[in-house]
Amino acid sequence: MAAFDLVVPETAEEAIAALQTLGPGEAAPIAGGTDLLHDVEEGRLLARRIISLRRLPWRTLDWNGNALTIGSTLPLRALEDDRQVRERYPGLYEAVRNVGSVALRHRATLGGNLVRSAPSSDLIPVLLTLDAEVDLVGPHGDRRVPVDRFVQASRRTDLRTGELVRSIRLPEARPSAFFWQRVRPSNDISQIVLAVAFAPAERSWRVAVGGVTPRPTLLAEAATALGAGRPSPDAVRRAAESASARAPFMTDRRASEEYRRRLVGTLLERAVASTVGTAGFPA
Amino acid sequence: MTAAIRPDAAIKLVGAAVFGTDLDVPGMLWAAFVPAPVAHGQIRSLDLRAARALPGVTVVGPEELAGLVGPGERDQERPLFAQGEILYRNQPLAVVAAPSALEARAAVAAVRVEVDPLPVVVDLETIFPEWPGSEADASPAVTAHVRARHGNVEAEVRRADRVVSEIYRTASVHQVALEPHACVAEIRGDTWYVRTTTQSPFGVREDASSLLGLPESSLVVEGTWVGGGFGGKGSSFLEPYALLLARATGRPVRFALGYREEFRLGRTTLPAVIRMETAVTGGRIRARRVRLLLDVGNSLPGRDFATGYSIGFLLGPYRTKTFEVEGYAVRTHKPPFGPHRAPFAPQCAFVVESHLDHVARELNLDPEEFRARHMWQEGDMTPLGQKVGPFGLATAFERARATARQWRAEAPAGHGVGVGCGFWSTSTGAGGEVRLRLGPRRLVVVEGEREIGSGSVLAGLTAVAVRVTGLPRDRVSIEYGNTSEAPFDSGVYGSRTLAVLGRAIEEAVVGLRRTLAERLGARGQAELSIERDEIYAEAGERRAALSVLLTPEEGAAGGIVSEGRHVAPPRSIDESRVVAGTFYPYTDFTGVAHVAQVAVDPATGAVRVERYAAYHDAGTVVDAGAAQAQVEGGVAMGLGTALTEEAIWSDDGRLVNDGLLDYRIPTLAEVPPITVEFIEGFAGAGPFGAKGLGEPPIIPVPATVAIAVRAACGAHLTELPLTAERVARALKLL
Amino acid sequence: MTPRPLRLTVNGRAVELVDVPASERLLDTLRWRLRSKGTKEGCRTGGCGACTVLVDGRTCLSCLTLTHEVDGTEVTTIEVGPEDAVVTRVRTAFEEAGALQCGYCTPGFVMALAGLLRERGTSATREELLEGVGGNLCRCTGYVAIVRAIESLRSGGP
Repeated sequence: MAAFDLVVPETAEEAIAALQTLGPGEAAPIAGGTDLLHDVEEGRLLARRIISLRRLPWRTLDWNGNALTIGSTLPLRALEDDRQVRERYPGLYEAVRNVGSVALRHRATLGGNLVRSAPSSDLIPVLLTLDAEVDLVGPHGDRRVPVDRFVQASRRTDLRTGELVRSIRLPEARPSAFFWQRVRPSNDISQIVLAVAFAPAERSWRVAVGGVTPRPTLLAEAATALGAGRPSPDAVRRAAESASARAPFMTDRRASEEYRRRLVGTLLERAVASTVGTAGFPA
Repeated sequence: MTAAIRPDAAIKLVGAAVFGTDLDVPGMLWAAFVPAPVAHGQIRSLDLRAARALPGVTVVGPEELAGLVGPGERDQERPLFAQGEILYRNQPLAVVAAPSALEARAAVAAVRVEVDPLPVVVDLETIFPEWPGSEADASPAVTAHVRARHGNVEAEVRRADRVVSEIYRTASVHQVALEPHACVAEIRGDTWYVRTTTQSPFGVREDASSLLGLPESSLVVEGTWVGGGFGGKGSSFLEPYALLLARATGRPVRFALGYREEFRLGRTTLPAVIRMETAVTGGRIRARRVRLLLDVGNSLPGRDFATGYSIGFLLGPYRTKTFEVEGYAVRTHKPPFGPHRAPFAPQCAFVVESHLDHVARELNLDPEEFRARHMWQEGDMTPLGQKVGPFGLATAFERARATARQWRAEAPAGHGVGVGCGFWSTSTGAGGEVRLRLGPRRLVVVEGEREIGSGSVLAGLTAVAVRVTGLPRDRVSIEYGNTSEAPFDSGVYGSRTLAVLGRAIEEAVVGLRRTLAERLGARGQAELSIERDEIYAEAGERRAALSVLLTPEEGAAGGIVSEGRHVAPPRSIDESRVVAGTFYPYTDFTGVAHVAQVAVDPATGAVRVERYAAYHDAGTVVDAGAAQAQVEGGVAMGLGTALTEEAIWSDDGRLVNDGLLDYRIPTLAEVPPITVEFIEGFAGAGPFGAKGLGEPPIIPVPATVAIAVRAACGAHLTELPLTAERVARALKLL
Repeated sequence: MTPRPLRLTVNGRAVELVDVPASERLLDTLRWRLRSKGTKEGCRTGGCGACTVLVDGRTCLSCLTLTHEVDGTEVTTIEVGPEDAVVTRVRTAFEEAGALQCGYCTPGFVMALAGLLRERGTSATREELLEGVGGNLCRCTGYVAIVRAIESLRSGGP
């Protein structure tokens, strides 16, 4: 287990520069550190230099009408505590408050969760259903990338050398729901998560699933099957069948592929019912 | 439920209690194991030179042993380091000491070991896919064989109305004490001294001295506060290695395991496959056949306590005149089988209760009535021919059934209520002693056990002392002494503390009170009381303050000393029923009956326990708070065994879920409200007829939950744990 | 690169530390550098909650926190004195409810609850308090007595 040094830049420019002072993979950023230090404990960290993001002004929550931009280093607990997030983004609220424990959420961040890009991430499926975008800053300027393109596989994202996630943008509030299946109700990693959201302007659904390989994924066919509004029981059934057939589940020590396939239909039905039942759901 | 506040609460609530992991001695070095990289292999070379060359690092391997401990006879069967052949993954090959944890890890990484891999065997059913019968006797994989029988099973089977055969599988579970194993060893002159977190300081002394080949008298063991034992801290583990390094370096050495190592090296309950066969005629059990295949990891041939002992629990507390039981302990490339809380008894209760519940259902008999009909009462014979002593299970069972009836009436559709039973015997070990010192103002009980958390020492022994002396609680204290200061005791395990040390206290107090009566010129025993802050003794016509009755020497020593000792009277089974191996008599008979109400999600198979009740045959409850706490804790632990805990091994002998994230113990959200009721009056082995309470609470839990699950959704599970996926499969959702 | 000096306030006492490696965890700084063993080491991966302390009044898993990352903050541990009214309240509730047996998880539980009470104040609901200790594991008590302690905190006692 290697020792490393820590730098604490004051600005984004300093942080970007610090990331490039060593070879590829030798410098890594730290926000909450809950994933990074877990990796260190497991002997997985290769970086020799850790760039702390704690002085950067990225612990923000900016509303623009119903659109929300979440600073990448905002602790999840702050997201969870925000009344408006709970009301306007119920699926996101539900996902965030089920991550780990309260103490963990005082440090863990959305940015960190995105960059870790775990197949079992609770938050990425929700972001996919909200058509979220990642705002990146880097040595060659700023970029905006849809989350769906940003996350690629476990620990692999579209992040280029010297780039940092600055914020995550949610373009519109949507009736949404988040359902999960775990061995234990708290402080556990999910076997399967299902997020749904209804885009009111477009009148279309989004369905995303986690606990799949190589990364959480939108299920376009299931979403289409749900139709353009309140789905009929038949439509929900077809969507559930599609999800079960198409989602790229995996077998691991938490659950078998077969079991996940069996569960996803049930979770989809429950999530759709919950979404349709929210006050903001259009007639 | 209010109870006396525990005397150790205050120190623990300010973080001032020193546990094994907290030991901190100036100049101490940090130790680590050099772990075997494969589960089975032949060591071609072990090169410690690069590690040794690191600054401040000392390495002790097999070559250094004799030089450090001298020529004494070491336990050859349990070498401290792998000798040539590696028998389980992470088996210690050597140990290192370094100035810091980081440097110790670096030293371990610098060791070069070359191994020729050998075939790895981890799965019982790969070794014996079918019941092996006598073919197993010749198998090198078998380390113990037990067999007992009585009556003519074949005849009963032939004429039975119905014979029900089933196969059950139970998983490996870990103790998961929050505090890992940890100790600090020092050499002080001629004394090898170690402070350690342990359930049994004298056990460590005996075990470590045997492993090192040292006389017991040269070893002093001092127990620290213990952050949970549950059977995993009952014998030595890190201490011999820490002592070796202390000897080699001349410095104090700290040896503590990380959490992953705790899992990987854990000596605990391992998987089992059990075949149950029951022949029923006229609604009564006529014959039973039990076949046990028990994975014992790297256990030594002949050193088996689990197989014979477990057969009794697989027969259960039921009258069984005609039976055949057989068990094979099977060696695999895992660490050795070790004791858990009520070792393997919860798994056995799950099997026998689920099986008898199933048998009854197959015969359209009421499953609870069926068990009640066969349940032991005092005076019955156990299958191995021992007379059942005072036994409150039938009473506990009736209380449980009444609760179950009420809950069933209240439960919504899709919820199930089940009753499960079990029994236990207070284990007494090799006996124990105490030394009492009665001074002018207080009574001190000097003994050699640490309070490990269960309350058996601080609450239980205090309560006994209070009861037999009549002194108020605040006049009694328990003083822990290390192995050179305190009288001998076998350890806090097997629910024995009260039974053994409690009785030793009784004996010592009787001696004290007799002596005081003599000094007052009377016969019998003096009565003790408090007046104006002083202890008074009264016998016959006379009454005097204790200070007046002490000799000058006693006055200087702080009080009059009295010793008490208890060794449990030996009990025996009918050896004519034993065909092979060792079976064990019971010291006393403790009954437990539990009730669970569960809900099963019909779409996912997830089981949620909604409420729980526990009825315990406790003999006499000596400290109500501690007793209730033990039941609550044991039930929660049992829920883990029932629903989520399962150690999973890969084909190459690696523990796959070697951490808390994937080896799931219950969290607060999963424990339902638990009602506890004690049944008193059926005397046990302890003082005032008390029965051990540390282990019984976990025993019926998996059984109770399984029976409730069946009641809820019809799924009959024959495998532990009852995961959602298994329930889903049983419900044919997959 | 030499690590810069660190300044912390630990249980009200100002502490300056030099030569603390960047990789050092707050847990180890407390236990081995400051020799305050009250905060317990458990799994070291954030899964058991035994290492919970407060950083600027908020619960923190000290095993997953780099000490340098909390430079300049106020750290509160189980060893804080009776002047901390919230921690004192939680301690008393635990003692009266018999909410500990071996005591190893206890500092983590006490600090987790103290942190939540500070965060949510007197309006903390039972669910919030129970959720606040969702990341704290106990193997001895079965949580039953801990829930009793929590309920007494909720109802305004002790």
